[in-house]
Amino acid sequence: MTEIIGFFLISWTDPWLIFLTAIGTFAGIYVGAIPGLSVTMATSILISFTFKWDVNEALALISGIFFGGVYGGSRTAILLNIPGAPSAIATAIEGYPLAKRGEAGEAIGLTTVMSVLGGFVGILALALFAPVISKFALMFQSRDYLLLGIIGIFLVGTLSGESFAKGVFAGALGVLIGMVGLDPLTAEGRFTFGSIHLLGGIPYVAAMIGFFGVAEALVQLHTLNTPAIRQKIDRIIPKISDIKKYFWLAMRASGIGTIIGALPGTGGDIAALLAYDDAKRSTIKPERPFGTGNREGLVAPEAANNAAVGGAHIPMLTLGIPGDAVTAVIIGALFIHGLKPGPLLLVETPHLFWFIVGSLTLANVFLLIFGLTGIRMFTKIVECPKAVLIPLIIVLSAVGTYAIQNNPVDVYWMLLFGVVGYFMKTYGFQVGPVILGVILGPMMDSNYRRTMLRARQDLGDFLWGFFSNPISLILTTGLILMLLSQTPLWEKLLRKLPIRKS
Amino acid sequence: MSEPANFRRPGELIFALLIVVFSVTAFWQAYLISGFSGKATPGVFPMLASGIMIVSGLIIVLSAAQTPKKFDNKSGFFSEVMSFNHVVLILLVFSYIVLMPILGFVISSGCFLFCSFQFLWRKNPLVMLALTGIILAVIYVIFREVFQVFLPQGTFLRDGFQ
Repeated sequence: MTEIIGFFLISWTDPWLIFLTAIGTFAGIYVGAIPGLSVTMATSILISFTFKWDVNEALALISGIFFGGVYGGSRTAILLNIPGAPSAIATAIEGYPLAKRGEAGEAIGLTTVMSVLGGFVGILALALFAPVISKFALMFQSRDYLLLGIIGIFLVGTLSGESFAKGVFAGALGVLIGMVGLDPLTAEGRFTFGSIHLLGGIPYVAAMIGFFGVAEALVQLHTLNTPAIRQKIDRIIPKISDIKKYFWLAMRASGIGTIIGALPGTGGDIAALLAYDDAKRSTIKPERPFGTGNREGLVAPEAANNAAVGGAHIPMLTLGIPGDAVTAVIIGALFIHGLKPGPLLLVETPHLFWFIVGSLTLANVFLLIFGLTGIRMFTKIVECPKAVLIPLIIVLSAVGTYAIQNNPVDVYWMLLFGVVGYFMKTYGFQVGPVILGVILGPMMDSNYRRTMLRARQDLGDFLWGFFSNPISLILTTGLILMLLSQTPLWEKLLRKLPIRKS
Repeated sequence: MSEPANFRRPGELIFALLIVVFSVTAFWQAYLISGFSGKATPGVFPMLASGIMIVSGLIIVLSAAQTPKKFDNKSGFFSEVMSFNHVVLILLVFSYIVLMPILGFVISSGCFLFCSFQFLWRKNPLVMLALTGIILAVIYVIFREVFQVFLPQGTFLRDGFQ
């Protein structure tokens, strides 16, 4: 126990690490708040600069950015009615009407405190459940990892974007990109076309920065001349009576957020919408109707999306499966730092796990400090014109891509993925599943082949394995149900059920 | 899940067809890795991935073909998707990354920032020049001095001074 506390406190006792966590949280809040700059974009660009750092320093910065970014989106949602991040969509529905009534300061204060509360619940869940899940995950076989990978990609594909087909295509494209280069088992070249540049594979950080940085900058060109709206902000520290009033609602929303965040493939955006929906159903006598500045509807999604941060770390650290696009980017960073997220992370490097928990807690404390201060400067930064922002994103993306291995070819990849990503976004594809595919593809490939070799290349034996082992059976059933829910057959089944009729 | 668009966006069907062509080529290349020689060969998973891409790509083509087109002359591929701003910005980025290894980070980024600010914002060139200088100085100090990131020096300057 003393050992655990020692690991936990590393980031709390080293001034440089405290500084990095603070900078990360600060940068996260502002980047997350600026419409057009997403947390995923910030993490993918910033982590490319940390590759040469010590792993603790990089993790401290990343924890701060993640927390700050998820929270930052709420500020622009309240002030400008533009969710700075997808997880703040529900916040905009209630927050903006509050701002129009002149209660923007109060709304920001309340969301900050509730986000921090939610954040703590998520971290507590991570600290309590990750060690248990990690022990359980040691029983997982290669087949189960293959299933988890497929489920993760499908979940991201189904829950985001316009159609299931588009989600599946994006995921499969990611897997294919991840296949380029030397095969890890036989060292045979795949899709290398005789070029030495392709032997090492396509650098996935270049793909991430292209898809999340450059593509987003090109999308933002459409709204180049949208004028910024100024808001009057006064009292920001919330009343104690308000915090007491919404405390239990925030706790329930945090519970929802943690669970949704912990499911592979679902992140803060879905958690926030579900918590908002829950608040809408459970509030019996709302002060104001929902949609016109209801505070319950503001508190619930904010607590949930920050709780999802801790939740998303659970599958990432215990199974090596990213919970959403941001954790997919972070997992990539962990790989580059020589870490192997998965059940063995807690067994082999417990200090890292507890260090991450400690940094996240510290970041959450900084979130409270920065969340309740600096509003005036904030309104200035958010008003930064897109004409300045877009070229800046591109320069940072190019430098970030170049910094990974000082190779100019990577920057060409970045531009290519940026343009492809722009077309994909324009035509209703999500780019999140692509990155998830790139990260999970090689893992799924080697696990598929291990399972197939264990079944002595017999298709019957291979398939039987998915149903004969209890863990595999649960995962297979989950996957089948998920696929079924996308077919017209599911609708027919639902219509026949008596619950539906009533 | 966000709602599908009610109308087909300009160029959507062509994009959908292109992804099918790409998927088929990818499948062919995946087949060339190890063919159908075994169930655990290096080519199996790439073939599965590209196969899934072909099937989902065909579904995307079909649904795009079934969605009605907008019947007005205002919306077109070059006005809605690839506007003049997009074309110029992509060309600027391309020139920037081609010139970066030659001119070095500072000069190429300076040129890129100035040109794109000027193009996108169209304000007084002196103000744009000052803005470029400030931003460049901040980026350089943060990344080169604080983060210790290696920024390209450029062959042109290095060779020129030797």
